[in-house]
Amino acid sequence: MKVRRLFIGALGVMALASVTVFGASSSAASAGSSAKAAKAACKGSIAIEAPFATGPAIPQGLEQLHFAELAVAMFNKANGTSFTLGQDDTGLNPALATTRTNAIIASKALAVVGPSGSQEVEAVGPLLAAAGMAAVSPSATLPALTTSGANKTFFRVVPDDNVQGPDDAHYIIKHKLAPAGSTILIIDDQEAYSQGITAVMIPILQAAGFTVNHQSYNGADTGATLNSDMSSLVTSQVTATTKVIILPWQSGGNAELFAQTLAQQGKTATLFGTDGTNSPSQFVAPGTYVSAFGPDISTNKSALDKSLVKGVAKYGPYGPFGVPTWEATTIVLDAIDSVCKAGKTPSRANVLAAVRKTNIPASQSDLGLPVKFAPNGNLAGSPGFLFHINAKGKYVEIPDK
Amino acid sequence: MQIFIQTLVSGIVTGCLYALIALGYSMVYGVLKLLNFAHGDLYMIGAFVGYFSIQWFGGAAALVIPVPLLVIFMFLVAGLGVGALGVAIERFAYRPLRNAPRIAPLITALGISFILEDSVLLLFGGFQRSYDTPAFIPFTQAIHIDGVNIDSVQIMVVVVSVAMMYGLTQLVNRTLFGKSMRAVASDREAAEMLGINVDRTIALTFFIGSAMAGVAGVMAGLANEQITNIIGFLAGLKAFTAAVVGGIGSIPGAMIGGLVIGLCEAFSSSYVSSQYSDLIVFAILIATMLIRPQGVFGQPPLQKV
Repeated sequence: MKVRRLFIGALGVMALASVTVFGASSSAASAGSSAKAAKAACKGSIAIEAPFATGPAIPQGLEQLHFAELAVAMFNKANGTSFTLGQDDTGLNPALATTRTNAIIASKALAVVGPSGSQEVEAVGPLLAAAGMAAVSPSATLPALTTSGANKTFFRVVPDDNVQGPDDAHYIIKHKLAPAGSTILIIDDQEAYSQGITAVMIPILQAAGFTVNHQSYNGADTGATLNSDMSSLVTSQVTATTKVIILPWQSGGNAELFAQTLAQQGKTATLFGTDGTNSPSQFVAPGTYVSAFGPDISTNKSALDKSLVKGVAKYGPYGPFGVPTWEATTIVLDAIDSVCKAGKTPSRANVLAAVRKTNIPASQSDLGLPVKFAPNGNLAGSPGFLFHINAKGKYVEIPDK
Repeated sequence: MQIFIQTLVSGIVTGCLYALIALGYSMVYGVLKLLNFAHGDLYMIGAFVGYFSIQWFGGAAALVIPVPLLVIFMFLVAGLGVGALGVAIERFAYRPLRNAPRIAPLITALGISFILEDSVLLLFGGFQRSYDTPAFIPFTQAIHIDGVNIDSVQIMVVVVSVAMMYGLTQLVNRTLFGKSMRAVASDREAAEMLGINVDRTIALTFFIGSAMAGVAGVMAGLANEQITNIIGFLAGLKAFTAAVVGGIGSIPGAMIGGLVIGLCEAFSSSYVSSQYSDLIVFAILIATMLIRPQGVFGQPPLQKV
């Protein structure tokens, strides 16, 4: 009896010891696993939607792609993460963008950088909202994208056309690019972006006493038809009283063709292109003003600016589309990384929530540009930029417009 | 008046380019009764040949040879190269289908069109490339008439196009080859029985038509400057419209049809709106089919009783 009690007691102690030992090691293992999981979980994929292979804005799309790739590489190196970037060409074509977006939604991508074009966001914004995926665009500026309510997961790191349009119109008025009472010709390319800016600028210019001649052409035309369009517009619409011509287009190449047609017919006027025409490799007509939503980083001295310039040097000339794309990509990666650091596995839902909370004051922004999203996804307060093309075809930033 | 004259000049230049492409459509339809929808893309290939010729000789701003030599070189290379491509397409894509139902070569032609467009896209990208013509043929080289500028490129396009059309007309009407071509177009079997080498005649027809499209592509690049892999599609459709309006299978018809379409496009852009120019051009096609389906110069089909 006494032996049995001793034996049972010993068994109990051994059991207790076993539970203690194994429980502790298991706990330690799971703590280690959580820590490892947290570190190992800091990987994932995002996708960029940009027109880098087809369509009228390939140079801008490639610029966006290169800066996005650079952002991913820099972020991974600085933070020890392992993010990958899927590439989806959309050609500024809503139908193509829809196909690509559906493929992205079916993939494991956590968020999207883009789409680039306003007409693409109109088409795919609701799809991304239904999938609960954040889409941070570096260049879609149509105001309705954030006021329609259809694109609930759409954000942008650039001001919308309600900022760019009035800014450009007021610059024309303030700096007297056209004499009082003269005619300003504005030609849209029938796309949502173009028509949006046109609708914002016309009332401001008319209120300042200008006669505004509003014309359109089909921005999808190419070759002989495009040349015919340009020739007809210059022939019939550019008169002796036309002093400024506004080109709110998405193609720098088409803008350059218009400028050359103007010269070929012996007519002169000051051209004013919006951000869609900003293309230092294509649109180089001297004397032209071109607005943008990104600064000229080649003239800045910050360490980051120098890194960016060096990182994309091998790709040749770039415009102002790259920096916002770098910023948009970094914001998305920051959001995913913050989820990782909170010990959670990144998902589309928690990444979206993290993107919404983005709040970077200018003083803490690597680029000196503040980023905070309004509830509708708009960027809260950001300046636009303006360039003037000099006699050598080089873009020179106007420091104080 | 200034607008009218400038529009007229623009319309004639565009019309000449459409006429050169339409001639290829008409010639091929004449001998094979085939609508070669890949023909517009041969024009696109010609434009790219011209573009790369400019780059080969140093680029638009730094040419290493005189401009007249460059232009002759571009015409020769584009003409011979695209002509050879046309012969190859006929030999491998259309000849095996000569006795197949008519829908088969038509679908093949559409397939060839996509292959050509996407091959250029894959090889050279979808960038808008520019001839940058003013860099080596300045706008100051122009005739000025009452406020209207007619630059040297526009004059060259018209002169070369007219010369080529005249040359083709002489070839068709006054040479043995032309006679063979007309015989094959009239009755292929009978021509064969009479000892005409039908395969060679058809191949040469393709060569000439494709060569003209290639040269038209170079001139389009010089006049319009911007080229991409898709410029051939709409140009081909409009040239097809021109061929139908003039009378498919008729060479004079293709020339007149091209000019008519070019002028309609230019005048509708200037006096109506550039948004409606395509609508007007294709409305003309539909109207022609309804009112005179054989075209202005075409022959109504014979009804055998």
